[in-house]
Amino acid sequence: MNYSSKLIEEAVQAFATLPSIGKKTALRLVLHLVKMEPELTERLGEALLNMRKHIQFCQNCHHLSDGPQCQICADPRRDRSLVCVVEGIRDVMAIEETGQYKGLYHVLGGVISPLEGVGPESLQVDSLVNRVDSGEVKELIMAVSPTIEGETTIFYLSKQLSAYPVRISTIARGVSFGGELEYADELTLARSITARIPYKSE
Amino acid sequence: MYLSRLILTHFKNYSSQTVHFSEGVNGIVGPNGMGKTNLLDAVYYLCMSKSRFSVSDRLLIQHEADFFRLEGHFLREGKPEKVVAKVAKGRKKEIERDDAPYERISEHVGRYPVVMIAPDDIQLALEGSEERRRFIDNTLSQIDAQYLTQLIQYNHILRQRNAYLKQVAEWHQSPDESLLTTYDRQLLAPSDFLLEARKSFIARFIPIFQAHYGAISGNQEQVVCHLRSQLLERPLSEWLMDLREKDRLLQRTNAGIHKDDLEFLIDDYPVKQFASQGQLKSFVLAMKLAQYELLQHETGQYPILLLDDLFAKLDRHRVEHLMTWIVERSFGQVLISDTELDRLSAVVRAKTADCRFFEVNKGTISTPNNPITQQPN
Ligand SMILES: Nc1ncnc2c1ncn2[C@@H]1O[C@H](COP(=O)(O)OP(=O)(O)OP(=O)(O)O)[C@@H](O)[C@H]1O
Ligand SMILES: [Mg+2]
Ligand SMILES: [Zn+2]
Repeated sequence: MNYSSKLIEEAVQAFATLPSIGKKTALRLVLHLVKMEPELTERLGEALLNMRKHIQFCQNCHHLSDGPQCQICADPRRDRSLVCVVEGIRDVMAIEETGQYKGLYHVLGGVISPLEGVGPESLQVDSLVNRVDSGEVKELIMAVSPTIEGETTIFYLSKQLSAYPVRISTIARGVSFGGELEYADELTLARSITARIPYKSE
Repeated sequence: MYLSRLILTHFKNYSSQTVHFSEGVNGIVGPNGMGKTNLLDAVYYLCMSKSRFSVSDRLLIQHEADFFRLEGHFLREGKPEKVVAKVAKGRKKEIERDDAPYERISEHVGRYPVVMIAPDDIQLALEGSEERRRFIDNTLSQIDAQYLTQLIQYNHILRQRNAYLKQVAEWHQSPDESLLTTYDRQLLAPSDFLLEARKSFIARFIPIFQAHYGAISGNQEQVVCHLRSQLLERPLSEWLMDLREKDRLLQRTNAGIHKDDLEFLIDDYPVKQFASQGQLKSFVLAMKLAQYELLQHETGQYPILLLDDLFAKLDRHRVEHLMTWIVERSFGQVLISDTELDRLSAVVRAKTADCRFFEVNKGTISTPNNPITQQPN
Protein backbone atom coordinates (compact mmCIF):
# COMPACT_ATOMS: atom_id res chain seq x y z
CA MET A 1 0.00 0.00 0.00
CA ASN A 2 1.11 3.57 -0.63
CA TYR A 3 0.93 5.57 2.62
CA SER A 4 2.26 8.81 1.05
CA SER A 5 4.38 9.22 4.13
CA LYS A 6 7.63 7.56 5.08
CA LEU A 7 6.87 8.23 8.77
CA ILE A 8 3.53 6.49 8.66
CA GLU A 9 4.91 3.64 6.62
CA GLU A 10 7.68 2.96 9.14
CA ALA A 11 5.28 3.04 12.07
CA VAL A 12 2.91 0.66 10.27
CA GLN A 13 5.73 -1.71 9.52
CA ALA A 14 6.87 -1.65 13.14
CA PHE A 15 3.41 -2.57 14.40
CA ALA A 16 3.05 -5.25 11.77
CA THR A 17 6.06 -7.15 13.16
CA LEU A 18 3.91 -8.00 16.20
CA PRO A 19 2.03 -11.31 16.31
CA SER A 20 -1.54 -11.34 14.99
CA ILE A 21 -1.23 -7.78 13.69
CA GLY A 22 -1.45 -7.47 9.93
CA LYS A 23 -0.88 -4.42 7.76
CA LYS A 24 -4.51 -3.31 8.02
CA THR A 25 -4.68 -3.45 11.80
CA ALA A 26 -1.28 -1.77 12.00
CA LEU A 27 -2.53 1.13 9.89
CA ARG A 28 -5.63 1.48 12.04
CA LEU A 29 -3.48 1.70 15.18
CA VAL A 30 -1.14 4.23 13.62
CA LEU A 31 -3.97 6.45 12.41
CA HIS A 32 -5.48 6.24 15.85
CA LEU A 33 -2.23 7.44 17.41
CA VAL A 34 -2.14 10.35 14.98
CA LYS A 35 -5.59 11.44 16.15
CA MET A 36 -4.74 11.12 19.84
CA GLU A 37 -3.02 13.77 22.00
CA PRO A 38 0.76 13.54 21.44
CA GLU A 39 1.33 12.94 25.20
CA LEU A 40 -0.60 9.69 25.03
CA THR A 41 1.74 8.34 22.37
CA GLU A 42 4.65 9.51 24.45
CA ARG A 43 3.38 7.68 27.50
CA LEU A 44 2.78 4.56 25.43
CA GLY A 45 6.28 4.64 24.02
CA GLU A 46 7.80 5.26 27.43
CA ALA A 47 5.90 2.43 29.03
CA LEU A 48 7.12 0.05 26.36
CA LEU A 49 10.73 1.19 26.51
CA ASN A 50 10.75 1.17 30.27
CA MET A 51 9.25 -2.27 30.46
CA ARG A 52 11.68 -3.70 27.96
CA LYS A 53 14.70 -2.11 29.59
CA HIS A 54 13.96 -3.17 33.14
CA ILE A 55 12.02 -6.39 32.99
CA GLN A 56 13.89 -9.39 34.40
CA PHE A 57 13.30 -13.01 35.19
CA CYS A 58 13.02 -14.03 38.82
CA GLN A 59 16.16 -15.83 39.95
CA ASN A 60 14.11 -18.21 42.02
CA CYS A 61 11.16 -19.20 39.82
CA HIS A 62 11.98 -17.61 36.40
CA HIS A 63 8.70 -15.75 36.26
CA LEU A 64 8.66 -12.15 35.01
CA SER A 65 10.00 -9.81 37.62
CA ASP A 66 10.84 -6.16 38.23
CA GLY A 67 13.85 -7.11 40.34
CA PRO A 68 15.95 -10.17 41.13
CA GLN A 69 12.93 -11.69 42.89
CA CYS A 70 9.38 -11.61 41.60
CA GLN A 71 6.38 -10.33 43.55
CA ILE A 72 5.13 -13.84 44.14
CA CYS A 73 8.40 -15.20 45.54
CA ALA A 74 8.82 -12.07 47.67
CA ASP A 75 5.34 -12.31 49.19
CA PRO A 76 5.70 -13.52 52.83
CA ARG A 77 2.10 -14.84 52.89
CA ARG A 78 2.88 -17.44 50.23
CA ASP A 79 3.38 -21.08 51.18
CA ARG A 80 7.02 -21.71 50.30
CA SER A 81 6.77 -25.47 50.74
CA LEU A 82 4.44 -25.80 47.75
CA VAL A 83 5.72 -25.24 44.21
CA CYS A 84 3.67 -25.41 41.05
CA VAL A 85 5.76 -26.39 38.01
CA VAL A 86 4.51 -24.80 34.77
CA GLU A 87 5.66 -24.48 31.17
CA GLY A 88 5.47 -20.73 30.74
CA ILE A 89 4.74 -17.31 32.10
CA ARG A 90 1.18 -17.32 30.81
CA ASP A 91 0.44 -20.42 32.86
CA VAL A 92 1.50 -18.55 36.02
CA MET A 93 -0.84 -15.74 35.06
CA ALA A 94 -3.72 -18.13 34.37
CA ILE A 95 -3.32 -19.83 37.74
CA GLU A 96 -2.89 -16.52 39.56
CA GLU A 97 -6.11 -15.37 37.93
CA THR A 98 -8.00 -18.08 39.84
CA GLY A 99 -6.92 -16.45 43.13
CA GLN A 100 -7.01 -19.88 44.75
CA TYR A 101 -3.39 -20.94 44.73
CA LYS A 102 -1.14 -19.82 47.59
CA GLY A 103 2.15 -21.56 46.83
CA LEU A 104 5.10 -20.57 44.62
CA TYR A 105 5.89 -21.42 41.00
CA HIS A 106 8.66 -22.78 38.86
CA VAL A 107 8.66 -21.78 35.20
CA LEU A 108 10.37 -24.47 33.10
CA GLY A 109 10.37 -22.53 29.85
CA GLY A 110 8.68 -25.29 27.85
CA VAL A 111 8.41 -29.07 27.76
CA ILE A 112 10.91 -31.63 26.52
CA SER A 113 10.47 -32.04 22.77
CA PRO A 114 13.56 -33.01 20.75
CA LEU A 115 11.44 -32.75 17.58
CA GLU A 116 11.33 -29.02 18.23
CA GLY A 117 14.94 -28.91 19.39
CA VAL A 118 14.03 -28.70 23.09
CA GLY A 119 16.06 -31.08 25.23
CA PRO A 120 16.16 -31.13 29.05
CA GLU A 121 19.23 -28.87 29.06
CA SER A 122 17.30 -25.99 27.50
CA LEU A 123 14.76 -26.01 30.34
CA GLN A 124 15.05 -24.83 33.95
CA VAL A 125 15.57 -28.32 35.32
CA ASP A 126 18.79 -27.89 37.30
CA SER A 127 17.45 -24.87 39.14
CA LEU A 128 14.36 -26.87 40.11
CA VAL A 129 16.55 -29.63 41.51
CA ASN A 130 18.50 -26.98 43.43
CA ARG A 131 15.33 -25.53 44.89
CA VAL A 132 14.28 -28.97 46.07
CA ASP A 133 17.80 -29.65 47.32
CA SER A 134 17.63 -26.57 49.53
CA GLY A 135 15.02 -28.44 51.58
CA GLU A 136 12.31 -25.79 51.58
CA VAL A 137 10.03 -27.53 49.09
CA LYS A 138 7.71 -30.30 50.33
CA GLU A 139 5.44 -30.74 47.35
CA LEU A 140 5.69 -30.13 43.62
CA ILE A 141 2.52 -29.80 41.56
CA MET A 142 3.22 -30.63 37.94
CA ALA A 143 0.88 -28.40 35.96
CA VAL A 144 2.18 -28.97 32.45
CA SER A 145 -0.13 -29.69 29.54
CA PRO A 146 -1.42 -33.25 29.37
CA THR A 147 0.32 -34.10 26.12
CA ILE A 148 2.92 -36.73 25.36
CA GLU A 149 5.62 -34.09 25.79
CA GLY A 150 4.08 -33.01 29.10
CA GLU A 151 4.17 -36.61 30.30
CA THR A 152 7.76 -36.99 29.18
CA THR A 153 8.67 -33.89 31.15
CA ILE A 154 6.89 -34.97 34.33
CA PHE A 155 8.42 -38.43 34.28
CA TYR A 156 11.85 -37.05 33.54
CA LEU A 157 11.63 -34.53 36.39
CA SER A 158 10.41 -37.19 38.79
CA LYS A 159 13.49 -39.25 37.91
CA GLN A 160 15.79 -36.29 38.54
CA LEU A 161 14.15 -35.80 41.91
CA SER A 162 13.86 -39.41 42.97
CA ALA A 163 16.58 -39.01 45.60
CA TYR A 164 14.62 -36.33 47.46
CA PRO A 165 11.71 -36.83 49.84
CA VAL A 166 9.58 -34.34 47.90
CA ARG A 167 5.94 -35.20 47.12
CA ILE A 168 5.00 -34.97 43.45
CA SER A 169 1.47 -34.53 42.23
CA THR A 170 -0.17 -33.76 38.90
CA ILE A 171 -3.19 -31.61 38.29
CA ALA A 172 -6.41 -33.50 37.69
CA ARG A 173 -7.18 -33.71 34.01
CA GLY A 174 -10.17 -31.44 33.77
CA VAL A 175 -8.28 -29.92 30.90
CA SER A 176 -8.85 -31.80 27.69
CA PHE A 177 -6.03 -33.83 26.16
CA GLY A 178 -3.84 -31.59 24.03
CA GLY A 179 -5.48 -28.46 25.44
CA GLU A 180 -3.28 -25.93 27.12
CA LEU A 181 -3.46 -24.60 30.62
CA GLU A 182 -3.90 -21.02 29.60
CA TYR A 183 -7.09 -21.83 27.73
CA ALA A 184 -8.74 -23.64 30.63
CA ASP A 185 -11.45 -21.67 32.38
CA GLU A 186 -10.70 -20.39 35.89
CA LEU A 187 -13.06 -22.67 37.73
CA THR A 188 -11.79 -25.84 36.07
CA LEU A 189 -8.22 -24.76 36.62
CA ALA A 190 -8.73 -23.95 40.30
CA ARG A 191 -10.53 -27.23 40.86
CA SER A 192 -7.88 -29.24 39.05
CA ILE A 193 -5.20 -27.83 41.36
CA THR A 194 -7.16 -28.53 44.52
CA ALA A 195 -8.03 -32.03 43.33
CA ARG A 196 -4.46 -32.85 42.31
CA ILE A 197 -3.45 -36.46 42.39
CA PRO A 198 -0.24 -38.06 43.69
CA TYR A 199 2.11 -38.96 40.85
CA LYS A 200 3.36 -42.52 40.73
CA SER A 201 6.35 -42.98 38.50
CA GLU A 202 6.46 -46.77 38.43
CA MET B 1 -23.93 -46.76 4.08
CA TYR B 2 -23.04 -45.54 0.60
CA LEU B 3 -21.89 -42.43 -1.21
CA SER B 4 -24.73 -40.99 -3.26
CA ARG B 5 -23.19 -37.75 -4.45
CA LEU B 6 -19.62 -36.52 -4.72
CA ILE B 7 -18.56 -32.97 -5.50
CA LEU B 8 -14.92 -32.43 -6.42
CA THR B 9 -13.29 -29.01 -6.61
CA HIS B 10 -9.69 -28.59 -7.78
CA PHE B 11 -8.92 -32.19 -6.84
CA LYS B 12 -6.14 -33.55 -9.07
CA ASN B 13 -7.36 -33.17 -12.67
CA TYR B 14 -10.95 -32.35 -11.63
CA SER B 15 -11.75 -28.62 -11.66
CA SER B 16 -15.36 -28.82 -10.67
CA GLN B 17 -17.42 -31.97 -10.97
CA THR B 18 -20.49 -33.52 -9.41
CA VAL B 19 -21.12 -37.27 -9.63
CA HIS B 20 -24.27 -39.16 -8.65
CA PHE B 21 -23.37 -42.72 -7.74
CA SER B 22 -25.52 -45.80 -7.66
CA GLU B 23 -25.90 -47.72 -4.41
CA GLY B 24 -24.73 -50.83 -6.27
CA VAL B 25 -21.99 -51.17 -8.85
CA ASN B 26 -20.52 -48.10 -10.52
CA GLY B 27 -18.35 -48.57 -13.58
CA ILE B 28 -15.84 -45.80 -14.26
CA VAL B 29 -14.41 -45.99 -17.77
CA GLY B 30 -12.06 -43.94 -19.89
CA PRO B 31 -8.66 -44.08 -21.61
CA ASN B 32 -5.38 -43.86 -19.70
CA GLY B 33 -4.66 -40.69 -17.77
CA MET B 34 -8.23 -39.34 -17.79
CA GLY B 35 -8.87 -39.37 -14.03
CA LYS B 36 -10.35 -42.76 -13.11
CA THR B 37 -7.90 -43.47 -10.32
CA ASN B 38 -8.19 -39.89 -9.14
CA LEU B 39 -11.93 -40.29 -8.77
CA LEU B 40 -11.58 -43.46 -6.71
CA ASP B 41 -8.93 -41.77 -4.61
CA ALA B 42 -11.33 -38.90 -3.89
CA VAL B 43 -13.80 -41.41 -2.47
CA TYR B 44 -11.03 -43.08 -0.48
CA TYR B 45 -9.98 -39.69 0.84
CA LEU B 46 -13.45 -38.88 2.16
CA CYS B 47 -13.50 -42.19 4.04
CA MET B 48 -9.94 -42.29 5.38
CA SER B 49 -9.11 -38.56 5.45
CA LYS B 50 -6.06 -39.27 3.35
CA SER B 51 -5.11 -40.40 -0.12
CA ARG B 52 -4.50 -44.03 -0.90
CA PHE B 53 -1.59 -43.07 -3.17
CA SER B 54 -0.04 -39.78 -2.10
CA VAL B 55 1.43 -39.06 1.32
CA SER B 56 1.29 -35.34 0.66
CA ASP B 57 -2.09 -33.62 0.59
CA ARG B 58 -0.60 -30.72 -1.33
CA LEU B 59 0.06 -32.88 -4.37
CA LEU B 60 -3.66 -33.55 -4.60
CA ILE B 61 -4.41 -29.89 -5.24
CA GLN B 62 -5.00 -29.22 -8.92
CA HIS B 63 -2.04 -27.57 -10.62
CA GLU B 64 -2.37 -23.76 -10.48
CA ALA B 65 -5.03 -23.93 -7.73
CA ASP B 66 -4.58 -23.07 -4.04
CA PHE B 67 -6.93 -25.59 -2.48
CA PHE B 68 -9.04 -28.64 -3.07
CA ARG B 69 -12.39 -29.51 -1.61
CA LEU B 70 -14.29 -32.78 -1.59
CA GLU B 71 -17.90 -32.95 -0.56
CA GLY B 72 -19.49 -36.34 -0.08
CA HIS B 73 -23.17 -36.97 0.54
CA PHE B 74 -23.56 -40.37 2.14
CA LEU B 75 -26.74 -42.20 2.97
CA ARG B 76 -26.79 -44.38 6.08
CA GLU B 77 -30.00 -46.34 6.45
CA GLY B 78 -31.76 -43.61 4.50
CA LYS B 79 -30.36 -40.76 6.59
CA PRO B 80 -28.06 -38.24 4.87
CA GLU B 81 -24.57 -37.52 6.17
CA LYS B 82 -22.31 -34.92 4.66
CA VAL B 83 -18.54 -35.18 4.77
CA VAL B 84 -16.31 -32.33 3.59
CA ALA B 85 -12.53 -32.39 3.23
CA LYS B 86 -10.71 -29.12 2.64
CA VAL B 87 -7.02 -28.74 1.99
CA ALA B 88 -5.57 -25.30 1.28
CA LYS B 89 -1.94 -24.37 0.83
CA GLY B 90 -0.46 -23.10 4.09
CA ARG B 91 -3.47 -24.20 6.16
CA LYS B 92 -4.25 -27.18 8.34
CA LYS B 93 -6.48 -29.65 6.59
CA GLU B 94 -10.05 -29.77 7.74
CA ILE B 95 -12.52 -32.61 7.79
CA GLU B 96 -16.14 -31.88 8.64
CA ARG B 97 -19.07 -34.15 9.20
CA ASP B 98 -22.47 -32.53 8.93
CA ASP B 99 -20.79 -29.12 9.02
CA ALA B 100 -18.95 -29.78 12.30
CA PRO B 101 -15.17 -29.95 11.95
CA TYR B 102 -13.43 -32.80 13.76
CA GLU B 103 -11.10 -31.73 16.53
CA ARG B 104 -8.90 -34.67 15.75
CA ILE B 105 -9.07 -35.98 12.22
CA SER B 106 -8.33 -39.51 13.41
CA GLU B 107 -11.84 -39.57 14.90
CA HIS B 108 -13.23 -39.72 11.37
CA VAL B 109 -11.55 -43.00 10.46
CA GLY B 110 -13.77 -46.06 10.70
CA ARG B 111 -17.11 -44.38 10.26
CA TYR B 112 -17.06 -44.99 6.50
CA PRO B 113 -15.17 -48.25 6.06
CA VAL B 114 -13.46 -48.60 2.70
CA VAL B 115 -11.26 -51.09 0.87
CA MET B 116 -9.33 -50.28 -2.27
CA ILE B 117 -7.99 -52.97 -4.54
CA ALA B 118 -5.40 -51.51 -6.89
CA PRO B 119 -2.68 -52.82 -9.20
CA ASP B 120 0.07 -51.83 -6.77
CA ASP B 121 -1.32 -54.17 -4.09
CA ILE B 122 1.27 -56.64 -5.28
CA GLN B 123 3.70 -54.66 -3.12
CA LEU B 124 2.04 -56.31 -0.15
CA ALA B 125 3.76 -59.50 -1.17
CA LEU B 126 6.98 -58.17 -2.63
CA GLU B 127 7.98 -55.06 -0.71
CA GLY B 128 9.43 -54.64 2.76
CA SER B 129 7.59 -55.03 6.02
CA GLU B 130 6.19 -51.50 6.01
CA GLU B 131 3.52 -52.32 3.41
CA ARG B 132 2.23 -55.22 5.47
CA ARG B 133 2.27 -53.24 8.71
CA ARG B 134 0.28 -50.57 6.95
CA PHE B 135 -2.20 -53.22 5.86
CA ILE B 136 -2.74 -54.33 9.47
CA ASP B 137 -2.85 -50.75 10.73
CA ASN B 138 -5.28 -49.68 8.03
CA THR B 139 -7.64 -52.55 8.82
CA LEU B 140 -7.50 -52.24 12.59
CA SER B 141 -7.81 -48.44 12.53
CA GLN B 142 -11.11 -48.80 10.73
CA ILE B 143 -12.35 -51.36 13.25
CA ASP B 144 -11.14 -49.87 16.51
CA ALA B 145 -10.73 -46.13 17.11
CA GLN B 146 -8.58 -46.90 20.13
CA TYR B 147 -6.10 -48.70 17.88
CA LEU B 148 -5.49 -45.62 15.77
CA THR B 149 -5.14 -43.41 18.85
CA GLN B 150 -2.58 -45.75 20.39
CA LEU B 151 -0.71 -46.05 17.10
CA ILE B 152 -0.49 -42.28 16.75
CA GLN B 153 0.81 -42.03 20.33
CA TYR B 154 3.36 -44.77 19.83
CA ASN B 155 4.68 -43.23 16.63
CA HIS B 156 4.84 -39.82 18.21
CA ILE B 157 6.88 -41.00 21.21
CA LEU B 158 9.11 -42.97 18.85
CA ARG B 159 9.73 -39.88 16.72
CA GLN B 160 10.68 -37.92 19.84
CA ARG B 161 13.04 -40.66 20.98
CA ASN B 162 14.69 -40.84 17.57
CA ALA B 163 14.92 -37.07 17.31
CA TYR B 164 16.66 -37.03 20.67
CA LEU B 165 19.16 -39.71 19.61
CA LYS B 166 19.90 -37.69 16.49
CA GLN B 167 20.22 -34.44 18.36
CA VAL B 168 22.74 -35.68 20.92
CA ALA B 169 24.76 -37.35 18.18
CA GLU B 170 24.91 -34.10 16.25
CA TRP B 171 26.10 -32.26 19.35
CA HIS B 172 28.61 -35.04 20.09
CA GLN B 173 27.06 -35.60 23.48
CA SER B 174 26.14 -38.83 25.11
CA PRO B 175 22.41 -39.18 25.66
CA ASP B 176 20.83 -38.45 29.02
CA GLU B 177 20.04 -41.99 30.16
CA SER B 178 17.09 -40.96 32.25
CA LEU B 179 15.44 -39.23 29.30
CA LEU B 180 15.82 -42.41 27.24
CA THR B 181 14.36 -44.39 30.13
CA THR B 182 11.49 -41.92 30.14
CA TYR B 183 10.76 -42.57 26.48
CA ASP B 184 11.16 -46.33 26.94
CA ARG B 185 8.58 -46.28 29.66
CA GLN B 186 6.20 -44.14 27.66
CA LEU B 187 6.37 -46.58 24.77
CA LEU B 188 5.30 -49.55 26.90
CA ALA B 189 1.57 -48.94 27.21
CA PRO B 190 0.81 -48.24 23.55
CA SER B 191 3.21 -50.99 22.51
CA ASP B 192 1.42 -53.59 24.66
CA PHE B 193 -1.92 -52.49 23.32
CA LEU B 194 -0.83 -52.62 19.67
CA LEU B 195 0.89 -55.98 20.01
CA GLU B 196 -2.16 -57.59 21.59
CA ALA B 197 -4.42 -56.06 18.95
CA ARG B 198 -2.20 -57.34 16.15
CA LYS B 199 -1.97 -60.83 17.61
CA SER B 200 -5.70 -61.11 17.89
CA PHE B 201 -6.12 -59.60 14.41
CA ILE B 202 -3.96 -62.33 12.86
CA ALA B 203 -5.96 -65.00 14.60
CA ARG B 204 -9.21 -63.61 13.17
CA PHE B 205 -7.70 -62.90 9.78
CA ILE B 206 -6.07 -66.26 8.98
CA PRO B 207 -9.16 -68.45 8.51
CA ILE B 208 -10.89 -65.87 6.29
CA PHE B 209 -7.73 -65.38 4.28
CA GLN B 210 -7.21 -69.11 3.82
CA ALA B 211 -10.76 -69.61 2.66
CA HIS B 212 -10.37 -66.89 0.04
CA TYR B 213 -7.03 -68.14 -1.14
CA GLY B 214 -8.40 -71.62 -1.58
CA ALA B 215 -11.43 -70.38 -3.48
CA ILE B 216 -9.45 -68.11 -5.81
CA SER B 217 -6.56 -70.41 -6.60
CA GLY B 218 -8.59 -73.60 -6.58
CA ASN B 219 -5.38 -75.21 -5.39
CA GLN B 220 -4.57 -77.50 -2.54
CA GLU B 221 -1.49 -75.71 -1.22
CA GLN B 222 -1.50 -74.54 2.37
CA VAL B 223 -1.11 -70.83 3.02
CA VAL B 224 -0.35 -69.69 6.53
CA CYS B 225 0.54 -66.37 8.01
CA HIS B 226 2.38 -65.39 11.21
CA LEU B 227 3.01 -62.19 13.02
CA ARG B 228 6.73 -61.67 13.29
CA SER B 229 7.58 -59.43 16.21
CA GLN B 230 10.64 -59.07 18.38
CA LEU B 231 8.22 -58.64 21.23
CA LEU B 232 7.00 -62.21 20.95
CA GLU B 233 10.49 -63.25 22.10
CA ARG B 234 11.15 -60.77 24.91
CA PRO B 235 9.38 -57.76 26.38
CA LEU B 236 10.03 -54.34 24.91
CA SER B 237 11.67 -52.98 28.06
CA GLU B 238 14.44 -55.59 27.80
CA TRP B 239 15.03 -54.98 24.11
CA LEU B 240 15.31 -51.25 24.63
CA MET B 241 17.73 -51.70 27.52
CA ASP B 242 19.94 -54.11 25.60
CA LEU B 243 19.97 -52.16 22.35
CA ARG B 244 20.68 -48.76 23.84
CA GLU B 245 24.25 -48.70 22.59
CA LYS B 246 23.13 -49.69 19.09
CA ASP B 247 20.37 -47.07 19.20
CA ARG B 248 22.93 -44.44 20.12
CA LEU B 249 25.22 -45.43 17.25
CA LEU B 250 22.51 -45.72 14.60
CA GLN B 251 20.58 -42.74 15.99
CA ARG B 252 17.27 -44.54 15.94
CA THR B 253 15.26 -47.07 17.91
CA ASN B 254 16.07 -50.61 16.86
CA ALA B 255 13.39 -52.58 18.62
CA GLY B 256 9.65 -52.29 18.89
CA ILE B 257 6.38 -52.95 17.16
CA HIS B 258 7.43 -50.58 14.37
CA LYS B 259 9.56 -53.52 13.21
CA ASP B 260 6.72 -56.05 13.13
CA ASP B 261 6.04 -57.96 9.96
CA LEU B 262 3.58 -60.44 8.60
CA GLU B 263 5.14 -63.57 7.22
CA PHE B 264 3.26 -65.59 4.64
CA LEU B 265 4.17 -69.14 3.73
CA ILE B 266 2.90 -71.30 0.93
CA ASP B 267 3.53 -74.92 1.77
CA ASP B 268 6.14 -73.82 4.31
CA TYR B 269 8.08 -71.53 1.95
CA PRO B 270 8.02 -67.72 2.09
CA VAL B 271 5.68 -66.25 -0.50
CA LYS B 272 8.04 -63.42 -1.34
CA GLN B 273 10.77 -65.67 -2.69
CA PHE B 274 8.97 -68.80 -3.76
CA ALA B 275 5.47 -68.04 -4.96
CA SER B 276 4.71 -68.15 -8.68
CA GLN B 277 3.20 -65.15 -10.47
CA GLY B 278 -0.25 -66.67 -10.37
CA GLN B 279 0.07 -67.63 -6.72
CA LEU B 280 1.12 -64.07 -5.94
CA LYS B 281 -1.95 -62.66 -7.65
CA SER B 282 -4.26 -65.03 -5.81
CA PHE B 283 -2.46 -64.30 -2.60
CA VAL B 284 -2.83 -60.53 -2.85
CA LEU B 285 -6.45 -60.68 -3.91
CA ALA B 286 -7.21 -63.06 -1.05
CA MET B 287 -5.66 -60.61 1.40
CA LYS B 288 -7.85 -57.77 0.20
CA LEU B 289 -11.04 -59.80 0.14
CA ALA B 290 -10.27 -61.06 3.63
CA GLN B 291 -9.72 -57.48 4.71
CA TYR B 292 -13.10 -56.55 3.28
CA GLU B 293 -14.86 -59.40 4.97
CA LEU B 294 -13.24 -58.77 8.33
CA LEU B 295 -14.18 -55.09 8.16
CA GLN B 296 -17.70 -56.04 7.22
CA HIS B 297 -18.09 -58.48 10.12
CA GLU B 298 -16.53 -56.24 12.71
CA THR B 299 -17.94 -52.85 11.76
CA GLY B 300 -21.34 -54.26 10.96
CA GLN B 301 -21.50 -52.39 7.65
CA TYR B 302 -20.51 -53.08 4.08
CA PRO B 303 -17.32 -51.17 3.29
CA ILE B 304 -17.24 -49.20 0.07
CA LEU B 305 -15.22 -51.30 -2.36
CA LEU B 306 -12.96 -49.49 -4.81
CA LEU B 307 -11.55 -51.63 -7.62
CA ASP B 308 -9.01 -49.69 -9.58
CA ASP B 309 -8.01 -50.89 -13.02
CA LEU B 310 -9.90 -54.14 -12.77
CA PHE B 311 -8.21 -55.94 -15.63
CA ALA B 312 -4.68 -54.61 -15.12
CA LYS B 313 -3.48 -57.27 -12.75
CA LEU B 314 -6.35 -59.75 -12.75
CA ASP B 315 -7.04 -62.26 -15.48
CA ARG B 316 -10.57 -63.21 -16.61
CA HIS B 317 -10.70 -66.07 -14.16
CA ARG B 318 -9.91 -63.92 -11.12
CA VAL B 319 -12.18 -61.11 -12.33
CA GLU B 320 -14.96 -63.66 -12.65
CA HIS B 321 -14.30 -64.92 -9.15
CA LEU B 322 -14.29 -61.38 -7.80
CA MET B 323 -17.56 -60.41 -9.48
CA THR B 324 -19.26 -63.56 -8.24
CA TRP B 325 -18.01 -62.90 -4.74
CA ILE B 326 -19.33 -59.35 -4.89
CA VAL B 327 -22.85 -60.17 -6.01
CA GLU B 328 -23.25 -63.31 -3.90
CA ARG B 329 -23.16 -61.32 -0.72
CA SER B 330 -25.95 -58.74 -1.10
CA PHE B 331 -23.00 -56.43 -1.43
CA GLY B 332 -22.40 -52.81 -0.52
CA GLN B 333 -21.39 -50.03 -2.89
CA VAL B 334 -18.70 -50.82 -5.46
CA LEU B 335 -16.73 -48.52 -7.78
CA ILE B 336 -14.83 -50.24 -10.57
CA SER B 337 -12.55 -48.57 -13.06
CA ASP B 338 -11.46 -49.91 -16.42
CA THR B 339 -10.26 -48.52 -19.73
CA GLU B 340 -12.99 -50.14 -21.83
CA LEU B 341 -16.71 -49.67 -21.43
CA ASP B 342 -17.74 -52.76 -23.36
CA ARG B 343 -15.47 -55.11 -21.50
CA LEU B 344 -16.46 -53.78 -18.09
CA SER B 345 -20.13 -53.50 -18.81
CA ALA B 346 -20.22 -57.11 -20.10
CA VAL B 347 -18.62 -58.39 -16.89
CA VAL B 348 -20.84 -56.33 -14.61
CA ARG B 349 -24.16 -56.78 -16.43
CA ALA B 350 -23.63 -60.51 -16.51
CA LYS B 351 -23.92 -60.42 -12.73
CA THR B 352 -26.19 -57.58 -11.75
CA ALA B 353 -28.58 -55.00 -13.17
CA ASP B 354 -27.93 -52.76 -10.20
CA CYS B 355 -25.24 -50.72 -11.94
CA ARG B 356 -24.43 -47.35 -13.44
CA PHE B 357 -21.64 -46.36 -15.82
CA PHE B 358 -19.58 -43.20 -16.10
CA GLU B 359 -17.19 -42.02 -18.76
CA VAL B 360 -14.20 -40.00 -17.67
CA ASN B 361 -12.59 -37.62 -20.10
CA LYS B 362 -9.81 -35.31 -18.85
CA GLY B 363 -11.43 -34.66 -15.51
CA THR B 364 -14.98 -34.44 -16.84
CA ILE B 365 -17.53 -37.11 -16.13
CA SER B 366 -20.53 -38.03 -18.24
CA THR B 367 -22.93 -40.94 -18.45
CA PRO B 368 -22.60 -42.88 -21.69
CA ASN B 369 -25.35 -42.73 -24.29
CA ASN B 370 -26.55 -46.17 -23.57
CA PRO B 371 -30.28 -46.89 -23.37
CA ILE B 372 -29.97 -49.49 -20.61
CA THR B 373 -27.92 -47.22 -18.38
CA GLN B 374 -29.94 -45.76 -15.55
CA GLN B 375 -30.00 -42.00 -15.44
CA PRO B 376 -28.76 -40.31 -12.28
CA ASN B 377 -31.60 -39.49 -9.95
N1 LIG C 1 -2.40 -32.20 -8.95
C1 LIG C 1 -2.84 -32.40 -10.21
N2 LIG C 1 -3.35 -31.39 -10.94
C2 LIG C 1 -3.79 -31.59 -12.19
N3 LIG C 1 -3.75 -32.78 -12.83
C3 LIG C 1 -3.24 -33.82 -12.15
C4 LIG C 1 -2.76 -33.70 -10.82
N4 LIG C 1 -2.32 -34.91 -10.41
C5 LIG C 1 -2.51 -35.74 -11.44
N5 LIG C 1 -3.06 -35.11 -12.49
C6 LIG C 1 -3.42 -35.67 -13.79
O1 LIG C 1 -4.32 -36.71 -13.62
C7 LIG C 1 -4.13 -37.64 -14.68
C8 LIG C 1 -4.05 -39.02 -14.15
O2 LIG C 1 -5.28 -39.39 -13.68
P1 LIG C 1 -5.53 -40.88 -13.20
O3 LIG C 1 -4.35 -41.45 -12.55
O4 LIG C 1 -6.79 -40.84 -12.44
O5 LIG C 1 -5.74 -41.58 -14.62
P2 LIG C 1 -6.48 -42.92 -14.94
O6 LIG C 1 -7.73 -42.56 -15.64
O7 LIG C 1 -6.59 -43.73 -13.73
O8 LIG C 1 -5.46 -43.55 -15.98
P3 LIG C 1 -4.95 -45.06 -16.14
O9 LIG C 1 -5.96 -45.76 -16.95
O10 LIG C 1 -3.67 -44.90 -16.87
O11 LIG C 1 -4.77 -45.63 -14.77
C9 LIG C 1 -2.84 -37.29 -15.37
O12 LIG C 1 -3.14 -36.76 -16.62
C10 LIG C 1 -2.22 -36.27 -14.47
O13 LIG C 1 -1.52 -35.30 -15.20
MG1 LIG D 1 -5.50 -45.42 -13.05
ZN1 LIG E 1 9.75 -15.83 41.59
